[in-house]
Amino acid sequence: MTSATRQDSQNTRNTGPGRLLIAVYGVFALATTARAGFQIATKFHTAPVAYLLSALAAVVYIVATVSLARRGTASFKVSVAAVSLELLGVLVVGALSVFDKQAFPEDTVWSGFGKGYGFVPLILPLLGLWWLYRRRPSAA
Amino acid sequence: MDGYFWATAVVGAISTVICLVAGIMGKKPNDVTILSVGAVFLVVLVYLVGSIIRVIAGEHLRGAAWEFWGYMLTALVLPLGAVYWSVLERTRWSNFVLAVVGVTALVMAARMNQIWY
Repeated sequence: MTSATRQDSQNTRNTGPGRLLIAVYGVFALATTARAGFQIATKFHTAPVAYLLSALAAVVYIVATVSLARRGTASFKVSVAAVSLELLGVLVVGALSVFDKQAFPEDTVWSGFGKGYGFVPLILPLLGLWWLYRRRPSAA
Repeated sequence: MDGYFWATAVVGAISTVICLVAGIMGKKPNDVTILSVGAVFLVVLVYLVGSIIRVIAGEHLRGAAWEFWGYMLTALVLPLGAVYWSVLERTRWSNFVLAVVGVTALVMAARMNQIWY
C-alpha cells in the first residue's frame, strides 16, 4: 500500500507498528488454538475449566487478530473489546493461578500472568490498547 | 536437545538479531533480512526431512506425533507468511515482523525436541 492510499482509506491501524502487533497476535492465535485444541481433544476431563479457558483465550486472540487487521469503526470497537477481555483474562487467571493453585492445576496461556510465554500475554494487551488509543477513529 | 534444535536455535537467533537491528536502524526489509528468514525456513525444512527419515527408519516419538508435526507445520508456515507480508509493506516495521520468525522457530524447535524425546 502506498502512503497516499493509506491516508485515503482512513485505516492506519494495520500498517507500521500495527503490522507487528497483528503479526504477534497472529502467532498467538495460531499457537493457542493449536494448544487448546490438543488439550481438549486428548485430556479434557483432567482439568475442564483450565482447558475451556485455553479455548476462550484462543478465540479472543483470533478475534483480536482479525479485527486489528480490518478497517472501519466497527472493527475498532471489536478490537478494543477483544484486547480488553484479553487484559482482564490474563490479570484474573494470572492472579487465580498464583493465589489458588488448586483451581488451576494445568497451565493455560494466561497462567502466572503468561509466564510460560515470556510474559508476552501480559504485555501484548497493554501495547494493543495503547496502539488502539493512538489510532482511534476520531483522531485519525 | 539434538542437533536440529541447536541448528534452528542458532539460525533463528541470528535472524532475529539481524532483523531487529535493521528495524531499529530504520531500514526497509532488504536482501539480508529476508534471506536470514529464508535461512530459518531452510533449517526447518531440513529438520522436517530429517524427521521424516528418522520416522521411516523406525524411531519412535515419545510424545504425541500430530502435536510434533503441528509445530513443524507452524514453523514452516511462519517464515513464508512473514516474508510475503514484508514484501507487501516495505517499511521498517516489516523487519520487526521478520524478527518474530526466528525467535518463534527457536521456541517451536524446543517444543519439538521435548515431544520427540
